[in-house]
Amino acid sequence: MNSIQGKRKWEPYVWLLPSILLISIFVVFPILIVFKLSFSEITPGGVIGGFIGFRNFTDAVKLPAFKTVMMNTFWWVISVVGLSTLLGFIIAMVLNQQFRGRKIARSILVFPWATSLVIQASVWNYIIKYEYGNLNNVLLNLGIVGQAINWRTSYTVEFIWECGVGIFVTVPFVTFCVLSGLQSIDGSLYEAATVDGAGFWSKLWKITLPLVRPSLTVSTVLNIIYVFNSFPIVYTMTKGAPAHKTDTMITYLYMLSFYERKKGPATALSVIGFLILCLCAGIYMVTVMRKEEES
Amino acid sequence: MRDPDLKKANRLSLLLLVLGIVLALILMSLPLYRFNAAVYIKKSPNTFVGDEKYLAVKEEVETVAEGYRAQGFDVELDEDVLTRVNSKGETTSLITFTINESFSKNVFSFLGSGLPSETVLILILAMTALALGCALLGCRGEMDLPQRYLPRRSALLRSLACAALLVAVLAVPVFVLMNNYAFSRQISLYNAGLIEEGREAFFAKMDRLLFSGQMGEGIGSALAGLDVKHAPLIWMLIPALLVSLLAAIQLRFGAIRSTLLRGLLYLFVIIVCLVTLYPYYVMTITAFRSNAETLDMYFLHMFPTKWNWSNLTDIIHRGVPRYLLNSLLVAGGATVVAMLCGVPAAYAMARMNFFGKKAFLGFVIMSQMFSPVVLLIGISQLMNTLHLNNSVLGLMLINAAFNQAFAVWLLRGTFVSISPEMEQAALIDGCGTIGALTRVLIPMAAPGIVTALIFVFINAWNEYTISTVLISTDANRPITVGITQFSSFNMIEWQYLFAASLVATIPVVILFMSIEKHLTAGLTSGGVKG
Repeated sequence: MNSIQGKRKWEPYVWLLPSILLISIFVVFPILIVFKLSFSEITPGGVIGGFIGFRNFTDAVKLPAFKTVMMNTFWWVISVVGLSTLLGFIIAMVLNQQFRGRKIARSILVFPWATSLVIQASVWNYIIKYEYGNLNNVLLNLGIVGQAINWRTSYTVEFIWECGVGIFVTVPFVTFCVLSGLQSIDGSLYEAATVDGAGFWSKLWKITLPLVRPSLTVSTVLNIIYVFNSFPIVYTMTKGAPAHKTDTMITYLYMLSFYERKKGPATALSVIGFLILCLCAGIYMVTVMRKEEES
Repeated sequence: MRDPDLKKANRLSLLLLVLGIVLALILMSLPLYRFNAAVYIKKSPNTFVGDEKYLAVKEEVETVAEGYRAQGFDVELDEDVLTRVNSKGETTSLITFTINESFSKNVFSFLGSGLPSETVLILILAMTALALGCALLGCRGEMDLPQRYLPRRSALLRSLACAALLVAVLAVPVFVLMNNYAFSRQISLYNAGLIEEGREAFFAKMDRLLFSGQMGEGIGSALAGLDVKHAPLIWMLIPALLVSLLAAIQLRFGAIRSTLLRGLLYLFVIIVCLVTLYPYYVMTITAFRSNAETLDMYFLHMFPTKWNWSNLTDIIHRGVPRYLLNSLLVAGGATVVAMLCGVPAAYAMARMNFFGKKAFLGFVIMSQMFSPVVLLIGISQLMNTLHLNNSVLGLMLINAAFNQAFAVWLLRGTFVSISPEMEQAALIDGCGTIGALTRVLIPMAAPGIVTALIFVFINAWNEYTISTVLISTDANRPITVGITQFSSFNMIEWQYLFAASLVATIPVVILFMSIEKHLTAGLTSGGVKG
């Protein structure tokens, strides 16, 4: 590795200091605060009392909506990450081909990635309105359906729509991750495989998948984290209604702490969420660090 | 060069092509559209079943029905009795006699009707005929000639056959959907008085198609009672013509598989693009519609009937410029802070060896894992202590901190990829480390720096959650929070919501498109997401 050796040993740390300060104050410090709060008594008015052990945690688990919210979070993460990874992979495979208009297609695919989630959620919210939503309008005008369809008959269906919007906004990220992996594959590998008589599927399994696996791992782990943390979609489309039936953990803890004045259980949930994220972050770091060592 | 095997294959293809077209023509002549129409209605008030008046009216109606039967219509007589007690306590009844006619039409019936779908039908027929002619002409005497030795004339004719059949296949759904639209929507809209324009002309055309123009004045009520049964069989036209298309492709290119795959590729890309653009289309048209139109269940048009540019001026008075300014401040400030902290750190990471380098890397990556949402409570507590809640400055710093990881990561990657020799030369020439960084490395790393810059800017611009929690006064709201005032619980002003969204979205999408290429390169190494 090329490096300019600092004459003074402490010099690199001066260069790093602003960055470390920024992260410490605004990222690490809030983490510590949340941990402290989760073990403290908090009145509904927000006054922070003394140490109460794990009572906030037991309170959180005892909340009536706890189980539903946990299951929702699980399905939310699994379905959004799983399906958008699959779709993104397929789209990336197609976009990796040479064809006319490829640049335009790539530019179009960037749109959902660049748009604020709250705006996208609002648009979809309008599209699937029963009375005047655009989807019904389009289908009716085309004569595909005879009368307006109610797209939001129950909270389960609404939750599925939320997952759909989640997939819609996540696919571009996966696509571009996989695409960057695909483009780094040496074309001569495929030529050699073709000479050896390999078909499409065996090329996919034996060349493409192993070589894009690092990109795929990074995008999957990051997606798990980002999707887990996603707030605007659920909040804009249903606000968790009815009775937290469509809430995920993140929107639920927001509701708990800023609407229902149950800051204690909310901080406990934050810590639980934090620990889940830590687990994912650990996996991610191991992957990235290993990749770093390879290169 | 002549190949007897090919002759066999081509003969088969030609046969399939003709068969597909014949099948399509047979399908078109089947009675695919079935109708049930009330051709004559007679209402008789104050009548009771079996009394004198009833019998008289019934006889009259039956005479009319006979008249229809004499003209060759298949009609049936229906009677409907409505009994009720009026305000004086007397029982009255209303008997409605209806003469129903059931009949069916085939696709060829649409010829000469003058309906919009007629043009499409003529196109389909013309294209099919053209394809048939071209294929036959293009194969004359050259059935055993491999495709690449074909004379230019034959190659051109066969290509023409492919193109014509492709157009025909694509026109079939247009034809079917146009008919569905006319039968199931346009009639009811005209009858409900929702649109006036063109009513007479449309009804006259329907009359010509359905009743050979004999309904005249009564066409309105006849159409009101029209019951249509669409035969799903009409969709079989697509596979029939598709067989011909594939045969034509085989005749022209030989290699049908690769051509087909190519076609599927384009189809897939087009569908993906359309789905992606759909919400943006909705956003744009809704932004320019009037409030009444946004809530109109029967809104018919693909585009607003009148483009309401006033929506854009209206949102100016609803605080949107202020929100945009706040967003600009937050995003711009966050970018500056993130860069000021990130560039030195990235430089140290790329160019210096020191104890704890790995630990710092881990620290940075870790910080990226926690989107601010899960730490909301901690952040709001911290901001309270620092007296930074409800301030643009606080948002700026939070955004800078949570985007720091990516900035460091991407910049470091860019710096590593640039050889350090130039800087070393600058150092020897007497530049300090800072001079070497600002005068040599930063200009060279400009593309990477711009990418990181824009990315941080967009992330901060689109941030929503922290802003909702931290900002409590209207004047400090960024645009993402500001637009939610248009969708309050009791009053949703979709047109303003989407007009403001459009203004907030267009610049960032353009910015994002400009860095997309650089971003993909640094993506999997760093890991980025908005």
